[in-house]
Amino acid sequence: MAISVVMPALEMAQETGKLLAWRKKEGERVTKGEPLLEIETDKAVVEVEAPGDGILAGVTADVGAVVPVGQIIAWLVAPGEKPPAMAVTAAPAARASSSPQRTSAAAAVQATEQRVALATQISPKARRLAKELGVDISKIRGTGHEGTITSEDVQSLAQGEGAAAPPGMELLSQVGRLMAERTTQGWTSVPHFFLVRDVDCGELVAAQTRFRQEMEKTHDAAPTITDVLISLLAKVLVKHTRMNSSWTGEGIRSNPEINVSVAMAVNEGVVGAVIHKANTAKIAQISMLRRELTERARAGRLRPTDITGGTFTLSNLGMYKVDAFSAIITPPQAAILAVGSISDRVVPVDGKPAIRPMMTMTLSSDHRVVDGARAAEFLSDLADAIREPEKVL
Amino acid sequence: MPEVATRELTFAQAIREALAEEMRRDSRVCIFGEDVAEAGTPFKVLSGLVEEFGRERVMDTPISEAGFTGMGVGAAMTGLRPVVDIMFGDFLTLTMDQLVNQAAKVHYMSGGTWKVPMVLRTTLGATRRSAAQHSQSLHAWLSHVPGLKVVMPSTPYDAKGLLKTAIRDENPVVFFEDKMMYKQKGPVPEEEYTIPFGAADVKRKGEDITIVATSSMVQVALGAAELLEKIGVGAEVIDPRTTWPLDEKTLIESAKKTSRAIVVDEGYGRYGVTGEIASVIAEGAFYNLEAPVKRMGAMHVPIPFSPPLEDVTVPTEQTVFEAARTLCGKG
Repeated sequence: MAISVVMPALEMAQETGKLLAWRKKEGERVTKGEPLLEIETDKAVVEVEAPGDGILAGVTADVGAVVPVGQIIAWLVAPGEKPPAMAVTAAPAARASSSPQRTSAAAAVQATEQRVALATQISPKARRLAKELGVDISKIRGTGHEGTITSEDVQSLAQGEGAAAPPGMELLSQVGRLMAERTTQGWTSVPHFFLVRDVDCGELVAAQTRFRQEMEKTHDAAPTITDVLISLLAKVLVKHTRMNSSWTGEGIRSNPEINVSVAMAVNEGVVGAVIHKANTAKIAQISMLRRELTERARAGRLRPTDITGGTFTLSNLGMYKVDAFSAIITPPQAAILAVGSISDRVVPVDGKPAIRPMMTMTLSSDHRVVDGARAAEFLSDLADAIREPEKVL
Repeated sequence: MPEVATRELTFAQAIREALAEEMRRDSRVCIFGEDVAEAGTPFKVLSGLVEEFGRERVMDTPISEAGFTGMGVGAAMTGLRPVVDIMFGDFLTLTMDQLVNQAAKVHYMSGGTWKVPMVLRTTLGATRRSAAQHSQSLHAWLSHVPGLKVVMPSTPYDAKGLLKTAIRDENPVVFFEDKMMYKQKGPVPEEEYTIPFGAADVKRKGEDITIVATSSMVQVALGAAELLEKIGVGAEVIDPRTTWPLDEKTLIESAKKTSRAIVVDEGYGRYGVTGEIASVIAEGAFYNLEAPVKRMGAMHVPIPFSPPLEDVTVPTEQTVFEAARTLCGKG
């Protein structure tokens, strides 16, 4: 089978790479690990190794070309095999993607990038120096191995080199920087539209209370409204595959797994912690995993797999007493559901005013992937599931 | 190093010269071992000694390491200064009772009445295609035992000076020579000199990373340092020269200066010399370190006979270079 050669992402903010040289000619035999090409990023010149064995074919990038990260630029094929006719190329946006079908190289880079962002390390020397100089560690961006903060980073900040920013300006942490990049990319590249729906949560709250009572004894789990919503959402997504798809630049790819990403607040921003295959997980499992993820997120110890592979995001600001809000999509996901608090409101029931626990949901969708009607059908099924959770769970 | 040293000797010649000089100087110095007389050992290190000193002082023994090491311990206790030759360090396993329970304990258990001024010379080192029973580096075993001193020279100059010190020492000393270094040449002055134990030697100065290396790994470290210089990393290479006594001060001071350290030794990485030295550095220089202290030893496997496999079992210039580059955040 043909193996794709992609422009790798080697750095945090890299969108493109410049092809400096092919080390092999088209038609030449290549073995895994051999130098295959040389690329230039904005920081360095790097030699890229062959991802597998085969014959170099279907080269689409010439020397000197500036190519978006993640794009296929050649193939390694078996003797007599032709390279795939239509090379699936990813938009530059795919760099920050969490699509399950991305190349392994990009995945590794993304994993490294996120690990760096989330679990900043500091060397013993730097920590001592920061204390001595009274430097706030959280303001430092590490330049050492895997983003480790070194004493040089501390010193340059203490001497004002790292803090070249004008007074009153807060320097970005890595989480903050990443959040800024991702939201800018999502907001500027994805054509958003929003659907709003109020839903009666009487049964949802009852179900959650029941689960909590049962599972406190059996599982040491105490499911929250968010946990029940994750489960309902994932089960409804099974029918609505398009909501669980991704825009690739060439077409729409449906994601084989339903991985619900849960937006979590950490010190300097927000991260999306992923419940993988949430549609097949039991409420108790979801609850325990979500609690674990929350603890790891707060401690800055999320692992790469904790934050990659999400296909749909749930963001709940109910605990902050927010009534409703609109959220920004994280590409290449096609949608994000923003839910507000469940609060008693007066609504008509059977023609009479009644007080019901109501919640407002706002669904942000990528209009390249779904249209209003399709998104509305999904939201309607989700609202039904929330109104009668027992039917789904 | 001497200021003027025009003469060059091989490592083997330096060892032989140290033995000859000490045997001329002190008639109590004698040599026991397999094939040490006319054969001059398989490595030809002792060639010519039997001709000068005779078979009474350069004595071939039966193939019984336990037996003739015990003979050495007894001879040392009763007034001679024997130099016992164990052809391959792998055969040390047979001498362990004599070394660990006798030689290392006699002085202590006799309340200082007896002493064992014996030197046991042996070899270490892989990549000679000698297979699993003739390629090990077991110096960690002996460094672990109180009462033994352990010497690991890396150059002809150090080999000669340290061996003379070993022969004059009143305690049992185990002297390890890497069999791959016997033909390595280096400056050795004509005039008399000795090198004290427990004094590390800075083989190369550098500001960015400390590479502590023993025996032939010093050459590997120096090669890696050359590669590192090309990418702007200045490596300081330090040879402790004796694993016991150990010059902790020099190691810690260097690590404090550079903030990063790698320890390279050809013995097994697990529970080995690298672990001990890395701990000494971590304890002494922790608040000056930018990165964890890295250990690099032989893989935890029997040394393979297959050359391609054997070559990757022990640290190389390239692997040390890569590790250093990563620690410095440049890889």
